[in-house]
Amino acid sequence: MPRSPSAEVGAASATQRPAAGGRSGVGRLVPRLPILGDLRLGRRLGWVIPVLIVLVAAIVGYNARAIAQQRGSALVVYTAARQRALVERYTKDVLVVVDGFPADPKESGEAMRQPVDVLLDGGSVRAPQGGGSRVEIAPARDWRVRLKLEQDRRLIDELIRTGDRLLDGGRDDPHYAANLTRLRVLSAQLSSVSNDAVQEITQQTEASLSRLVRIEIALGLLSALAALGLGLLLRRAGAEQAAQFRSLVNNSSDLITVLARDGTIAYQSPSVQRMLGRRAADLVGTTLGDLVHPDDQDDVNASLTKLVEAAPGATANFGCRLQHKDGSWRHVESICTNLADDPRVNGLVLNIRDVTEQAALRTSISDLLHNLARRSQGLVDRQLELIDELERNEVDPERLDELFRMDHLATRMRRNVENLIVLSGVDQRRRWRASVPLRDVVEAAVAEVEDYSRVQVAGIHDLTLAGQAASDVAHLLAELVENATSFSSPTTTVEVSGGPTGNGYVLEIEDHGIGMSDIELDEANRRLAEPLAADVAVSRMMGFHVVGRLAARHGIRVQLRHCWFGGVTALVLLPAALLGSAGEHPAMAPPVPAGVMVSPEALLLANATKSGWQPRAHLPLRRHAAPAPNRGGDTDAAAEAGEPVE
Amino acid sequence: MAWTRARRRWAWALALVLAALALAVPLTVARRQEPTPRGTPVNVVLEDFKVGLDAAVVPAGTVRFQIRGQGPTRHELLVVRTDHAPDKLPLQRDGLTVNEDAPGIDLLDEVDGLDIDDRQTLVLRLAPGHYVLYCNLEGHYLGGMHASLAVR
Repeated sequence: MPRSPSAEVGAASATQRPAAGGRSGVGRLVPRLPILGDLRLGRRLGWVIPVLIVLVAAIVGYNARAIAQQRGSALVVYTAARQRALVERYTKDVLVVVDGFPADPKESGEAMRQPVDVLLDGGSVRAPQGGGSRVEIAPARDWRVRLKLEQDRRLIDELIRTGDRLLDGGRDDPHYAANLTRLRVLSAQLSSVSNDAVQEITQQTEASLSRLVRIEIALGLLSALAALGLGLLLRRAGAEQAAQFRSLVNNSSDLITVLARDGTIAYQSPSVQRMLGRRAADLVGTTLGDLVHPDDQDDVNASLTKLVEAAPGATANFGCRLQHKDGSWRHVESICTNLADDPRVNGLVLNIRDVTEQAALRTSISDLLHNLARRSQGLVDRQLELIDELERNEVDPERLDELFRMDHLATRMRRNVENLIVLSGVDQRRRWRASVPLRDVVEAAVAEVEDYSRVQVAGIHDLTLAGQAASDVAHLLAELVENATSFSSPTTTVEVSGGPTGNGYVLEIEDHGIGMSDIELDEANRRLAEPLAADVAVSRMMGFHVVGRLAARHGIRVQLRHCWFGGVTALVLLPAALLGSAGEHPAMAPPVPAGVMVSPEALLLANATKSGWQPRAHLPLRRHAAPAPNRGGDTDAAAEAGEPVE
Repeated sequence: MAWTRARRRWAWALALVLAALALAVPLTVARRQEPTPRGTPVNVVLEDFKVGLDAAVVPAGTVRFQIRGQGPTRHELLVVRTDHAPDKLPLQRDGLTVNEDAPGIDLLDEVDGLDIDDRQTLVLRLAPGHYVLYCNLEGHYLGGMHASLAVR
């Protein structure tokens, strides 16, 4: 079936909200902070945030460094102080051993050397309150401290050598007194050096901590200033943005309306004064329905209800008329977004645009279209009557065949003209008072198609169609059959069949063409379900628009589907309200046997039997789009209906 | 050209900075021009564990000791007038430090807390006699930190 231009579709009625746009300028350099939300950052604000972040990071870093330094310094002081006690212990051990008592000066000598080595070269020491855990100490970096510790180490070495001499010589050594004095002097010097080192380390630690504290105070002050500046700038940016938004809303020609969950107007932009002559404050708390034209209220309610039930962020478009304070009606179009999940809105946001002038222009164009089409229609009708007379008087089969061709072309011209009338929005087709056999309607539609010989009608039940819908249904089917024959190979057939359903009767028009893609099919179905107003796009894809409009008039549903063997099937669901008939229920009526070829000629020339339409030897073209109410056959009811009505 | 508020603010800030500079520069220059104390200069070097003098004899009168600590340990310097030999000063009961209150010891003045690279000047009016300069921290004197100075 169709790959025609009609397969193009217009805007979707419900779409997801687009993603928020990015920011430009300096704002792009600034990390997007969630706390700022949609607040746009100015140039100055853009620099304050990185500065604040750097300051805070510096404070945290200095704090960590100060804590680490304090802990390390405490350990160093502890280690240095412990070293002094170890010197005293070594001296005592040496004297105890010299006096003949047991002790282990060697071990205490090693223990005495260890703290100095750790302080100088770095290493691990046992934490004073760590339950046996050890803590790493970095090597001393300050040159003063290092000089003192190196001196400490030299004195320890000399102390151990002196101690060894005492241990080796004992009290009997002639140098015992000198060595003993030397031991005491060295011990005192070591204590002095150790004290000195501890004092130096402590002073440096104090100075370093003091420096850190000063830096932290300075950073803290800077941070406070930056935070204050940031706060002020944020406040100013927020105020500027709010003012900008207010200005945009107040000066916009569109209306911004927020509908609360209960349907009342929660916010109304002041521009309503210009559009509807009403004060925004007067509308808040009222319902939108108070302004909507009574004829449009059902559509508006349906659109809004559908949107409320849709996913958050979904949008919908609808048009309606709103009443001006002076009583006149303004045509508007609204884009409505569901922001019920946004706590700042908590409702539906309607962007309403005044399209009264456009509506007037559209009406004017439709009138123009209709008038031109009516004139053409009159001429074509006269042409058809003339051809009809010629056909009736012609006996030469060749001339008659040529007349039939002219007849068919004129019939197609008339259908095109009728398409224009349909698109103009005016319903002026002929209508029948009484019901018309459905089979006649189908045959009439097929007769309007140039390649009618490729169309096989089968399985249409013995039903009647309401007279007021007969012409439109025939027209609708003709468009679909025409599309099917146009977009399938000339060597293939197009099959038209029917079958009852629970809520009506379905006509199927099935072709054997190359089919349509899923996207094309979806778009075509959307176009069929929601025909747009006449515009340039519609003129390029007239078929589906006409079908959609005709279907909408009578509550008929038309849908395209893929065929399992290729091609497309058009399903036309005729509602039960339009059907009547031969049987009480469509399902009860006997269908025409499948596979029986029914010619369009039968509609005009053939005699019908109760078993169905009979094929003829040759297939002359039929001129009329709708079944003729005064023809013979089993269309007695239609014949009784008399003249068509406008 | 009309001055905006922001420009006025910047002008005030600039004026304050200039005023601070104008005050700071003379103060810095004045501090550098302190008068040099007079007297006979004697350079004293303190290091582990000795006292070095560049003069053994100086004339009586004002003597300016220019002391420099070379460490690595922190030291102090005491100047006493005594007839004792430099290494024979009376000790306290701990046997490690000089008894400054002992008879024959006249403590004139002292300088303490001299760390590595610290410099200090001690000005004394010395009468003719024998003087000993020493460090009295524990073990330092006995380690050899003393020197003799004759004033004539």
